[in-house]
Amino acid sequence: MAAPVVEAEASGRAATRPPARERKNGRFSVHFAHYKWLYLLLLPGVLYFAVFRYGPMYGVSIAFKDYVPFLGVNGSQWVGTQHFEDFFSNPDFPRLLGNTLILAFLNLGIAFPLTIVLALLLNEVRLSILKRTVQTLVYIPHFLSWTIVASLSFLLFALDIGPLFQFLNGVMGTNIDFLSDPAWFRPLIVLQEIWKNTGWGTIIFLAALATVDQDQYEAAIIDGAGRFRRVWHITLPGIRSTIIVMLILAIGQMLNTGFEQIYLMTNALNRDVADVFDTYVYFVGITQGAYSYSTAVGLFKSLVGLVLIFGTNWLAKRFNQSGLF
Amino acid sequence: MKIHNTTGGRIFDAANYVFLALIGIVTLLPFVYVFAGSFATEAEITRRAFFVWPEQFTLGSYEYIFSTPAFTRALITTILVTAVGTLVQLAFTVTMAYPLAKKMLRGRKLILSLVVFAMVFSGGMIPTFLLVKDLGLLNSYWALILPAAINPFSLIIIKNFFQELPAELEESAKMDGATEIGILWRILLPLSKPVLATFALFYAVGIWNDFMSPLLYLSDNSRWTLQMYLRQVTAASDLLGTGNVDPNYIPPEQGIKFAVIVVATLPILVFYPFLQKHFAKGMLIGSVKG
Amino acid sequence: MIRRKLSLAAAVVTVSALTLTACSGSEEPAADLTSVSIMAPFLEAQPPSADGAVQKKLEELTGKDVNITWTPNSSYEDKTNITLAGSDIPQIMVIQGKTPGFVKNAEAGAFWDLTDKLDKYPNLKTTFPEIQENASINGKVYGVYRGRAPMRAAVMFRQDWLDKLGLQPPKTTEDLYKVAKAFTEQDPDGNGQDDTWGITIPKWGALGTNSPYDLIEEWYGAGNRWTEKDGKLIPSFETEEFLEANRFVKKMVDEKLINPDFATFDGTKWNEPFFNGKGGIIVDVDSRVSVLINLFKQADPANFENKVGFVGNLVGPDGELHAHPTDGYSGFLAIPKAKVRTEAELDKVLEFLNTMNGKDVATLLNNGIEGVNFTVEDGKAATIKPETPEGKAVSTDIKSYAQLGMNVAGNNFYPVKQASDYEQQVFDKRTEVMAEDLKSAVYNPAAPYVSATYVAKGAQLDNIVADARIKYLAGQIDEQGLKDAIKLWDTSGGNKVKEEINKLWQDNK
Repeated sequence: MAAPVVEAEASGRAATRPPARERKNGRFSVHFAHYKWLYLLLLPGVLYFAVFRYGPMYGVSIAFKDYVPFLGVNGSQWVGTQHFEDFFSNPDFPRLLGNTLILAFLNLGIAFPLTIVLALLLNEVRLSILKRTVQTLVYIPHFLSWTIVASLSFLLFALDIGPLFQFLNGVMGTNIDFLSDPAWFRPLIVLQEIWKNTGWGTIIFLAALATVDQDQYEAAIIDGAGRFRRVWHITLPGIRSTIIVMLILAIGQMLNTGFEQIYLMTNALNRDVADVFDTYVYFVGITQGAYSYSTAVGLFKSLVGLVLIFGTNWLAKRFNQSGLF
Repeated sequence: MKIHNTTGGRIFDAANYVFLALIGIVTLLPFVYVFAGSFATEAEITRRAFFVWPEQFTLGSYEYIFSTPAFTRALITTILVTAVGTLVQLAFTVTMAYPLAKKMLRGRKLILSLVVFAMVFSGGMIPTFLLVKDLGLLNSYWALILPAAINPFSLIIIKNFFQELPAELEESAKMDGATEIGILWRILLPLSKPVLATFALFYAVGIWNDFMSPLLYLSDNSRWTLQMYLRQVTAASDLLGTGNVDPNYIPPEQGIKFAVIVVATLPILVFYPFLQKHFAKGMLIGSVKG
Repeated sequence: MIRRKLSLAAAVVTVSALTLTACSGSEEPAADLTSVSIMAPFLEAQPPSADGAVQKKLEELTGKDVNITWTPNSSYEDKTNITLAGSDIPQIMVIQGKTPGFVKNAEAGAFWDLTDKLDKYPNLKTTFPEIQENASINGKVYGVYRGRAPMRAAVMFRQDWLDKLGLQPPKTTEDLYKVAKAFTEQDPDGNGQDDTWGITIPKWGALGTNSPYDLIEEWYGAGNRWTEKDGKLIPSFETEEFLEANRFVKKMVDEKLINPDFATFDGTKWNEPFFNGKGGIIVDVDSRVSVLINLFKQADPANFENKVGFVGNLVGPDGELHAHPTDGYSGFLAIPKAKVRTEAELDKVLEFLNTMNGKDVATLLNNGIEGVNFTVEDGKAATIKPETPEGKAVSTDIKSYAQLGMNVAGNNFYPVKQASDYEQQVFDKRTEVMAEDLKSAVYNPAAPYVSATYVAKGAQLDNIVADARIKYLAGQIDEQGLKDAIKLWDTSGGNKVKEEINKLWQDNK
């Protein structure tokens, strides 16, 4: 944990500040006195992170123990890296990793850009009532639980009688049972994800779009720039930093494919492609009370997420984009 | 501002309007079904796969869920906790984001790295519970608010937003002798309405939808929030086939499920349109530079 | 400076960690038993109110302050673990089953071992020792079990279809096939279209969960989860009868007597095809009979009789009835040692449970309050009509309070009088059929035994066979493929499970 933090700190400082030695002696009190309000403002937040986020952090140690709630974290037996060994040597590991990554990239490659596209389309609407209505409507699905989304999917894709079953098979001239065919599992999951969360995701981009400078549009119109050129040259660059930050955060979370959605759509016939880390952890961790094991898997996922975040952030900086920090 | 439109532009507009209207319908329909179903009889829900208007109208489901004061109480509790919690969490986040947006702040990178680290790693459910317990927050509404006071994700976005505000703004204020707190309060916050509205919404929805915190921290059920009920009725259907179901258990009727969903989602749904006016275009930088 | 900040952060972490460990060790002094705290799940849309009539009556009957922490069933296990990890532990915890989490905690010493203690209390001494044995962990009783009807398997069918086609209710699995075939091919709804099928099966793959597949396998003689063969216990899916039963089901799938989407069909919609006249048979628990009758009644109150017919367990191809019982319990009430510290305190808590299990409290928990929501007619509890608001509140609350009932010596309360004569007849017939079937019940011989390997990876192991069973039925793999999956179960850890179960079984014989 310490290594990347210190590195990031060191490289960042080299780029943006005068050499440390020069500032160090005596200047801090001046600096502090000058900015005391800033440091005061920082205090509640820092305290919050220290207490509520780092306070319970000792809990990750249960990944190295055979944790039994009754015995407590300290009382449980230390087993070292046994859970990690079990996890990595599990014959299912490559399959789980593959499934998780494919689903993660599909979500990142399809659902993420679609959110931006929808936000841009909404932004182009000048009919205020339509814009507001659609904005409100597309965000409704976010509030329906995955149970509801799953049961709607069952309804729409029901064998022989589902409206989408009939429509899609009619168009393609096939007779596919989308709910059990392993080849259709991922498209279904991505489709559900798009339906449920695209509208919700647009909110942050719409807020960013609200800050794009209107003068630039006027100038572009005077220059005779068309609709798409304006979007391409003004709107998109205007929200670029938001897009990059959101992308970095999404990449950091990409191994969290979500448990409930996938669990509900899994059945005996598509399990080979459906099993991901999150559902696996459910089976091992929750139904079997193996807290330690699931913590170990969670720790692995977090490590990967951390590397991905710092990695993409570094890349963004390399290309002179604003990163997370 | 008037934008002159070309034929191509008009075609695009028309297509765009139709497309968005369609999307609106596709996202609305299921909720309409849930809404209609909450007024329908069990027999009708079983007979008709999908409908937007019940043939036989009944208030039975609503009568059931409002038959005890518990549900009404939970509704009021949830609204209050959400309102207070949103303000508190937003205050925590903004006050931390503002100094972090200043590049000259010492230790800034370290703090940000630790924030990102905390975004990915957490101590887990049980240690967090023990902490909340030791702080004496069990059975207190603060247990639903404080442990989630700052969402690292929101913090970073708000910080980035502050960072992009033109520096001239602050410099001129500073020359007038304003402190950082004054600048934040009188200049930055009014300018940041779209962003604040967005994160107010995110925090509000986060508290509203939170199920684990009330489950773990509130054992006195007169203090429960709505999600405890919602979760209970919608999760029941997942149990089939898990082998750990009480055989005496009869799942709630679909109509009741739908009614609970309606009551638990409508209040938060109407929240958004209120915030929308802050999303108005051009009110920010344009007004500053103009 | 960086290092200083880092170590500061580290210090904060350690300090708070220390505080935590210090605090979780602190104890409250043992309280005199004037009040009893209980943690229990609720399964309804809402928990009972803490100042309701049932709560007051319960405190009056037991003479104690009863504090019940109602917890949503959907996350009960999380809350259980949290509670055990904290220090604010109730005196009595409802435990929903021998989940691996519970087993671990119990074996670590979290709960009192009640094996030799219960018999002293007249209402806690069970009249079904085999069920108490089932609920134990390798013979150790960690709680007073909550008794449930041990026989529930039933075949429900559209009586009107059966009558129209002039058929008799099925008695054997072969009859089931014939009825299913007739329902599929002979246009039982008389609409002139080939739009009906026999049996509806939802997505329900897991092994040993009383699924339709489990039932049919047991009727074929495969046993109940485990079965004795040549002096050893083997999983029922390693018997020849298991394969035969699945060949039988596959034949019905192939002939389209079962809904083709059985692998994915949404379980919450199970009643729909039956009610809407698509699929005429459901194989499930007998209580679904009343759910189905209620649907027809709600749709057409004047004409709902004789729509739903049912029989109990079916005779297998060997001419014998191997009826499928449940485990006969649904979890238990356990007593945490962290809260109840001495034998003397334990005795008081058990006395309280003894009162809870007496006729007065059992009647309260299951029937309600006489004169408020029910009256006794011919030894049955009849709901008072029209319902008063008070009566309704009691009726709603007892659905949750029934979760505290143990009934280890049979049901110590009134049977509920059904809403109409027809429903009463059906109910009486159900009781009769189930009682008759219970005589031929084939129990799970391994029910009391908990194998360490199974705790560690049982769910994944079982998925191997459960998925293969569905794939075989769906035609994705052949019988050899199914056999290979069963072998894979063995080699992935199943052999070890068998070894452990057999050892426990031998040791406890």
